[in-house]
Amino acid sequence: MRTNTLEVRPRREDRIAADRSRLARSLAWTILLLVSLTMLAPFIWMVLTALKTEGEILRGDGLLPTEWRWQNFADALDAAPFGIYARNSLILAAAHTLMTVTFAAATGYSLAKLRFRAAPWIFGGLLAAMMIPGYATIVPQFLMVRFMPLFGGNNVLGQGGIGWIDSWWGLIIPGGVTAFSIFLFRQFFTSVPTELLEAARIDGVGEVGIFVRIASPQVLPAFLTAGLLSAENAWNNFLWPLLVTRSEEMRVIQVGLASFRQETTAQWTLMMAGTTLAMLPMIVLFLLAQRYFVQGFAQVGIK
Amino acid sequence: MVVALVLSFTRYDIPAPPEFIGVDNYVEAFTSRSFQRAVLNTLFLTIVAVPTAMIIALVIAVLLNQGMRWQGFFRTAVFLPHITATVAVAVLWLWIFNPDHTGLLNRIIGTIGLGPVSWLGSTEWAMPSVIVMYIWQSIGIKMLIYLAALQGLPPEVGEAARLDGANSLERFWYMTVPLLRPATFFVLVISVISSFQVFDQIYILTSGGPANATTVMTYQIYQSAFQASRMGYASAQSIVLFVVLIILAIVSRRIVGGTDAH
Repeated sequence: MRTNTLEVRPRREDRIAADRSRLARSLAWTILLLVSLTMLAPFIWMVLTALKTEGEILRGDGLLPTEWRWQNFADALDAAPFGIYARNSLILAAAHTLMTVTFAAATGYSLAKLRFRAAPWIFGGLLAAMMIPGYATIVPQFLMVRFMPLFGGNNVLGQGGIGWIDSWWGLIIPGGVTAFSIFLFRQFFTSVPTELLEAARIDGVGEVGIFVRIASPQVLPAFLTAGLLSAENAWNNFLWPLLVTRSEEMRVIQVGLASFRQETTAQWTLMMAGTTLAMLPMIVLFLLAQRYFVQGFAQVGIK
Repeated sequence: MVVALVLSFTRYDIPAPPEFIGVDNYVEAFTSRSFQRAVLNTLFLTIVAVPTAMIIALVIAVLLNQGMRWQGFFRTAVFLPHITATVAVAVLWLWIFNPDHTGLLNRIIGTIGLGPVSWLGSTEWAMPSVIVMYIWQSIGIKMLIYLAALQGLPPEVGEAARLDGANSLERFWYMTVPLLRPATFFVLVISVISSFQVFDQIYILTSGGPANATTVMTYQIYQSAFQASRMGYASAQSIVLFVVLIILAIVSRRIVGGTDAH
């Protein structure tokens, strides 16, 4: 990050200007502080609510809890099977991350480095796919999963059963590899020097070996970035799991939270405890690996 | 997309097989009061929330780019809502918007003797409430893209303007804003796409109500396809969503005049 150094010059006008710019910087800093606190206020309110007693909520007095009631978290876990929901979300996130760092990486690499005739067309299609809003294709996507042949009691023509509905297949396979992640990998792999790959090819390394052992280690940040983003998306996803899962055993955390809200209308302490649990893993992951998240989002912005 | 287009010309109430009915679905969509309302609401949300969030994001990015103490903390704070699941965030805002005196917003306006307001339950306040939450959540990503673009600008340009006696506001308006035009175009496009896909928060906060005040196109598609099982009609609504989005993308290109290959 660029730091702005104030140069010391002896002239009087410059001193005044320096004073003014110092004042402007203090003002800017104060604005940033206020904005940041405003952005954080809902989260702070959530945690404070999760630690109050129900009676204290209803009285609506002080902002801080009078007694810090950690028991709310245990009660929320008792009130709904958040453990199962979290496990399902973890499986989904792990599977999507794995699919991203294998299939999306390989596709991105071949688009960047393997010269084949259809590459520009596939890349164009990829860019177009990134522009199509996911919600516009949700109906055909759902129908494909619903009428998946030979699954869930369906016959060869996809009739008769429920297909991939309420199965891990339906939950995981669609959306596991996104156009965005392929694009991200393609951008990173483009910067790998082709001479390096050519040299390995001359040394007799196979094509798969070149991808796995020569090119991939050059772009490790891409793997971290794409993997983290796909884990985050999987954990936060709501509509698709809502549509394709029915039983409680298959519910992911966001769907579980939504149904918890419908079942417990008035218990805000438990609801905020549950919400905190649903947010926490991604917030922790983000704080630990902030560099890679930021890089990922900025990458699409710059290139 | 092609499948959606084909299905949009059929009556397809699953599990019954599809049946060709021409443009009837489109006629129904354009004459349906709730779908008209959803199109208008989607456009309203986009036109109000996207520019507001973009301006706030740009100002924050420019301030952050000055390199100040606690910069990392500020960036994290602004970006955190974006990384957090919309469902969880919406449940949290449901509590902030709680209609009686216990909700945070009513407590705040209560200190100056106002309220309590039924934020999500009244037709005049429901949409503004949804928009406030949307802006809060969407500033982070826009700020981040602007920040990345700012850091890509050559520092000499600002230095030269400073020596020419331009003050910081002039530098912002005549130098930074024009130089950021490609970034602005990019942010605008992804913002419009995302504002057309607002769904999770509507599902949690209002279910499209009261009296369709907050229904949006995605919510209508969801209701047609997965509550009424009318896949053909839902496909036609999806195509309308897509076409409106394309038109908006072309319009934004005209307005911002983005030229390069973003």
